[in-house]
Amino acid sequence: MTESPALNGSPIRTRATVIENRADGGGGFCLTLAVSGWPGALPGQFVMLSAGPRTAVERWDPLLPRPMAIYRGHQPGSAGESTEIQVLYKATGAGTRLLAEALPGQLVRVVGPLGVGFPSPSSGQRVCLVGGGTGTASLYEWAVRCARKQPVSVLLGARRAQELIGLEDFEALDVDLRCATEDGSLGTAGRVTALLEPLLADVKPEEMSLYVCGPTPMMRACSERASRAGIRCIVSLENNMACGFGVCLGCAVPLTEGGFSLVCKAGPIYDAREVDWAGLP
Amino acid sequence: MIQAVDTSVEFAGIPLRNPVLTASGTFGYGTEFAPFLDLRRIGGFVGKSLTLEPRFGNPPPRIAETPSGMLNAISIENIGVDAFLNEALPALPDGVVVIASCFGTDPEDYARLAQRLSDSPRVAGVEINASCPHVKSGGIEFGQDPKLLGELVGRVRERVSGPLIVKLSPNVTRIAPMAEACQEAGADGVTLINTIQSMEVDVETRRPVLSNVLGGLSGPAIRPIALRMVWQASRAVDLPICGVGGITSAEDAIKFLLCGATAVQVGTTNYINPMAAGEIADGILQYAERHGVSRVTDLIGALEVNSPSAS
Repeated sequence: MTESPALNGSPIRTRATVIENRADGGGGFCLTLAVSGWPGALPGQFVMLSAGPRTAVERWDPLLPRPMAIYRGHQPGSAGESTEIQVLYKATGAGTRLLAEALPGQLVRVVGPLGVGFPSPSSGQRVCLVGGGTGTASLYEWAVRCARKQPVSVLLGARRAQELIGLEDFEALDVDLRCATEDGSLGTAGRVTALLEPLLADVKPEEMSLYVCGPTPMMRACSERASRAGIRCIVSLENNMACGFGVCLGCAVPLTEGGFSLVCKAGPIYDAREVDWAGLP
Repeated sequence: MIQAVDTSVEFAGIPLRNPVLTASGTFGYGTEFAPFLDLRRIGGFVGKSLTLEPRFGNPPPRIAETPSGMLNAISIENIGVDAFLNEALPALPDGVVVIASCFGTDPEDYARLAQRLSDSPRVAGVEINASCPHVKSGGIEFGQDPKLLGELVGRVRERVSGPLIVKLSPNVTRIAPMAEACQEAGADGVTLINTIQSMEVDVETRRPVLSNVLGGLSGPAIRPIALRMVWQASRAVDLPICGVGGITSAEDAIKFLLCGATAVQVGTTNYINPMAAGEIADGILQYAERHGVSRVTDLIGALEVNSPSAS
């Protein structure tokens, strides 16, 4: 829904080969796929993934693919070669539990890249990225790119230290990294939104852009806090969807101005003010 | 040498290069599939159901996954007939067969809309959606009463000279009287089935999963029901039938042809694999080659039944 660069290339539908499907010990998984003909992706875009058949027989339960942010693999592949892309996920439901069982060499169905990318911050602004749970995944490549040009703060939150997805990758970046865990096992004890307070204390609206991806209550809280500070807040929404490319109309979110927007097509990136947060389930 | 297979069929007076169409509501306005599928590889597509004015759908949650299926309660969200005729249709490549789906709250709505669509040279035929199971007024009211359905089809028939198809609801005790009503009212073909009225519950929140409470079930879970209804309808009427419900493969599509369908529509599978309709069309050709079938029309109604009274 926000102004953003155009898609690098048209989405593709293919079967990708599992290279690695690594459990991180906190209930999360990092899945690496080899994709041929990968057109590349913008930071913020996603893929629809479903665990493919283990045998020649297709399986239809669970039926629907799952939307997942592209964690790594935003570069287009060279002709004739496969590209490695990575997603991070938690095995929480039928689809992700099946995916968690995928072994190297197995085929996974992929449609993507889908949706729009993050809009750029103004030059010279501090960029503040706030990630909660697996929402962190969609922010990583954006942190990499923003850190080349301007100061970046990354605030990550989870219930406990083991659930801070992608922490080592963020630690390797030249960014101001702060963590919060609800059980206090790493960083500040409490919610990630508490980390936002000191950063917003003296900042002028034109000095910062905020990018948030995580559970809806967290995004809503960040959105309200940013609104009070007059700071632009960009959110990356998650939603159930059957297709990912604008035809099932299942992923509609209500807009402040009335009507609905499709997270898969107009999103998943929105200016937080566009979203009617009270109308979200 | 294998003789070339003739895959073409004629459904409701519409010549199709092969019997594979895509179902309304699962294929947008066609252009969404351009990155994945050359629309000229398939017989054609049925667009998202249209209304005279643009229409917003239900609040979320609108969809839910169920065993080998999904529920939806979108409620005919669409761009409206003007945007369809002026923007969506011109964006399609030449040679794509487009069937437009109509929805209304009363027969006059349906008739006006169907006439406007049918008058467009880019619209090969109109399909009346008399079966949406989750809209508060219209649709299914007509689709569950043969008398009302016949009156609706008759009203539309008066205004539409081109191919007129009626999409039937499975949410009836007997499908045959519904198909018969369409035939008597002058329809050129029937499509069946629409989704099956359903619901799902979240026991943690003790709430229905869908904001609308009720939704329509689609996907492989409904295929045997769809097949049964196509078989029953094909024995009741002479109208050509388009079979739809849970088709995921060429084999599934062929089952519908054998049960008497002249064409098929691929629906929910388009969400999961946007190339599926093309793959199914290719698969039907391969099946015909493998079985020495020279014309796909030879498969229509070719089911061999030992006890034909068992309907």
